[in-house]
Amino acid sequence: MAGTALSIKLRCTSWQQLATIYRRDLSRGTMFLKASNQPAIGTVVRIDLELPSATVLELTGTITEHVVDPQRGTGVNLKLDPLPTKTVWLIESALAAGNKVRAQTQPGDTATPGDSTVAITEGENIAEAEGDLVRALESEAESLKKLNPFLVLGVGYETTDADVRAAFGELTKRYHPDRFARYQSTTLRQIAAEIFILIRDAYRKLADEASRAQVRATLGSKVQVPTRAQTQPRATPPRIPTQQVPKVPRASSEPKPDVPMLHGPHDAPTNPSSASAAIASTQLAKASDPVHVIERPAGNVKSGPVRAGAVVTAPMPSDKDPNPRRSITQATPIVAEDSSGLELLIDEGKLDEALAGYRVLVKKNSQDRSARAGVELVEGLKALTARDRLEAAQRFESALEIDPSNERAARELADMRRQATNERKGLLSRLMGKKEGPA
Amino acid sequence: MSRIIGIDLGTTTSCVATLDDKNSPKTLVAADGERTTPSWVAWSATGQVSVGTRARRQAVTNPSATVYGAKRLIGRKVNAEDVAWFARLAPFRIVAAPNGDAWVRVHGQPISPQEIAAHILRRMRVIAEEALGEAVTRAVVTVPAYFDDAQRQATRDAGQIAGLDIIRILNEPTAAALAYGAHRTADGRKLVAVFDLGGGTFDISIMSVDNGIFEVLATGGDTALGGEDWDRRMLERIVDEVFDQYRIDLTGIPMAMSRLREACEAAKKTLSVDRETTITLPFLANDQHGAPINYERKITRELVEQLTKDLLDRLEAPCRRALADAGLEASEVEDVLLVGGMTRWPAVQASVEAIFGRKPSKGANPDEVVALGAAAYAGILAGDSDEAALLDVTPHDLGIKVGDSGFSVIIPRNSMLPVRARKLFATTTADQKFVTIDVYQGESDQLGKNRKLGQVVLDDLPPGPPGSVRVELVMTVDVESILSVTARELRTNRETSITIRPSGGLSQREIVEIINRRRQETSIVGKLPSEGGNIVRVTTREQAVVKPPDESSS
Repeated sequence: MAGTALSIKLRCTSWQQLATIYRRDLSRGTMFLKASNQPAIGTVVRIDLELPSATVLELTGTITEHVVDPQRGTGVNLKLDPLPTKTVWLIESALAAGNKVRAQTQPGDTATPGDSTVAITEGENIAEAEGDLVRALESEAESLKKLNPFLVLGVGYETTDADVRAAFGELTKRYHPDRFARYQSTTLRQIAAEIFILIRDAYRKLADEASRAQVRATLGSKVQVPTRAQTQPRATPPRIPTQQVPKVPRASSEPKPDVPMLHGPHDAPTNPSSASAAIASTQLAKASDPVHVIERPAGNVKSGPVRAGAVVTAPMPSDKDPNPRRSITQATPIVAEDSSGLELLIDEGKLDEALAGYRVLVKKNSQDRSARAGVELVEGLKALTARDRLEAAQRFESALEIDPSNERAARELADMRRQATNERKGLLSRLMGKKEGPA
Repeated sequence: MSRIIGIDLGTTTSCVATLDDKNSPKTLVAADGERTTPSWVAWSATGQVSVGTRARRQAVTNPSATVYGAKRLIGRKVNAEDVAWFARLAPFRIVAAPNGDAWVRVHGQPISPQEIAAHILRRMRVIAEEALGEAVTRAVVTVPAYFDDAQRQATRDAGQIAGLDIIRILNEPTAAALAYGAHRTADGRKLVAVFDLGGGTFDISIMSVDNGIFEVLATGGDTALGGEDWDRRMLERIVDEVFDQYRIDLTGIPMAMSRLREACEAAKKTLSVDRETTITLPFLANDQHGAPINYERKITRELVEQLTKDLLDRLEAPCRRALADAGLEASEVEDVLLVGGMTRWPAVQASVEAIFGRKPSKGANPDEVVALGAAAYAGILAGDSDEAALLDVTPHDLGIKVGDSGFSVIIPRNSMLPVRARKLFATTTADQKFVTIDVYQGESDQLGKNRKLGQVVLDDLPPGPPGSVRVELVMTVDVESILSVTARELRTNRETSITIRPSGGLSQREIVEIINRRRQETSIVGKLPSEGGNIVRVTTREQAVVKPPDESSS
């Protein structure tokens, strides 16, 4: 059309806005523009789309119809010329970066969580996302191998048959190799089978009270490490009920899903997310419904008090304690005698106090491995609170290295890895969904 | 990724289904309006193949080249007891393949049951492609829970011949429970029994449904009991009556037998609802004097019930055994799901009620339930549905030979897949050089009655007194029922392993030959009736599925 070409500047002030535009318009190859006096159909429009990062993208399109949308108002529909791959990449990586709040190191992760079709790159993205998922699953299998059956299933030591079955059911839905049948990679299925075998073995060992008692008996002697000798009877009541559900509902039932964290603990980003990015990512997560359906554990899981999850998300009053020193000195005398008291503090979320307590214990006896591990554990939990996953993972790992019987660290690590797996699986599903979506 | 269809490859009828846009399974209807397809395949004198109703209709004029019940033969040896009786009854010839497998002979040509099943699967695929308007390459196919590895693998091979990638073999009762939505009504754990009495097989499964997980606790049944037996009883009775009356043996007249069999089946269906009906068969045969016999007989439901009383009695024992295997009392079963056309028979329903002490749940159409469940599972595999996960189980004990004739179970039957088990063994003689581990499958304490799957030899063992050298045996069965066995000497960590893929009787080379032969035939014929429209696509797809011969596996 030779007519006068219109030129328009569009500024996206937030990633959220960009995500919306991308999802609603760009990905479909169309765009809605508000216009009170509608230009003629066939008019060519040039749009300079400015991203929040100040990068300007050039788009061109042709007006195809005049619309009066009850929600969006009077305007025109543009049919966009196909976006150059480069542009698509730019938007996607920008969204991904804004979404994940991280340095742009890993190209493997750069797939967007949008629900749009990007034919040119999706093959690679899927392959890369699969590779990522394989690695996440592998590390998860590794950490599961270190856990006792109770921890594998995420149930308490004093649990019921029904809870064991429910936990097994949830985990089965997640890890049964058939859950991975849709992906190309057979490795995925193999690792999933390995994980499932672990889960199934745990289930078999815990299916009824008699066998649970047996497992507890063997654990009692094995767990025998310095100060933890007496933990067995104690370990049961306080945290078991809380610990029951977390692995399962965590990803979805937390008020704020950790969507920005698209990587595992190992390559986790370190800079805290900006508020807008966090919102954008939440929005994106909602936009890509299919993924969420896939990831969502069945609603019938009773979400008990979320133990570690609460530590992660809830603001810690003790963190903001204007005078931490005082509270430590208060805590120390009670606690220093007994590391189990410290664990109670951890359960209550009083991390600083617990940390101080462990430090005192270490000072007393530098050979006390469980206390040294405790320091690492609490540091890790603190890092989690600050959303520094890399730091947290490293702390948990070193806690385990010092004291392999530190269940808490093992569990936290397993949880983190599980989450990483879920996120990767979600990402992959989204990519796969893209492929099938438009059909 | 293309759509995955669910196929119920039945003994008497087959059915195909897929998930619709709302992710609920629906039966795919053939162009001629049929919801189920008779599992019949026929060859004309010129070698043209017809499948389904078309094959069944011409059976009267072409009984010796019309094959039905191929599912009874697939993966079976010809000398198996139930194969033998089927051979006596069937109007076509059942012969032994070189390896002892049961094949059929049509127009002088030996044909494997896998090829016959492939024709049916291909037909189901065409129905699906026509209904969906898109190419279909992958399927979930159901088999009776009683099928052993050989039968399952033979079914897979049939898929390969038909150019269908069978991504999962699913137990029919499991599929049925999924279709019944047993997982949706369940609040907490629920125990259900799936009572499947179809045309050719009877399956009973005791399952637990919990949080969307289907766990098969126990299976049982009778692969030689089904609706056809009811037909056969009626048929035998009439044959006897005709002999008494006219001194004519109808069993020697294939055409008369075919007509009579169809009439009996139709009468049985009518009698499921009505109390009596009449079989009318004009010109059934000629009597001794050459005069035509115009056969007409009134049949009551009562008579048929009387003739088949012992068949009903055969329903109870497998149910009891399955319950015992699951460690349950009949009263603990909370729901009994009816599957298969024969469950429409009032006396069958009464038997079920007597066995389980509760009224069974009836679906709208018990013939389609299994295919619908297969489609639902296909949806789960494709990631379209998040509803449930099924747990498949090993159909037989897996173990090894101990001593001269002992059988030591390593993975008990009904273990959920995938599964892994370990066992430690010690040497029995001083400075033993090697150990031989024979892997067996079966349910008998006596080794001889079980099937040998393979052998692992671990040599170069370190020297030492008896019992000092330890060998760890690890057996793994993956979700595809592929068994791998690893033996490892613990001191030196020396290990050897084998992978045992179930064999369905055909080697990979034979399968490729069949596919190639078909390709040649089709290039000569140019166009086949009914399935012909897709020939070009069929050929290319088959090429894609063909893998290089892999003799190590069979």
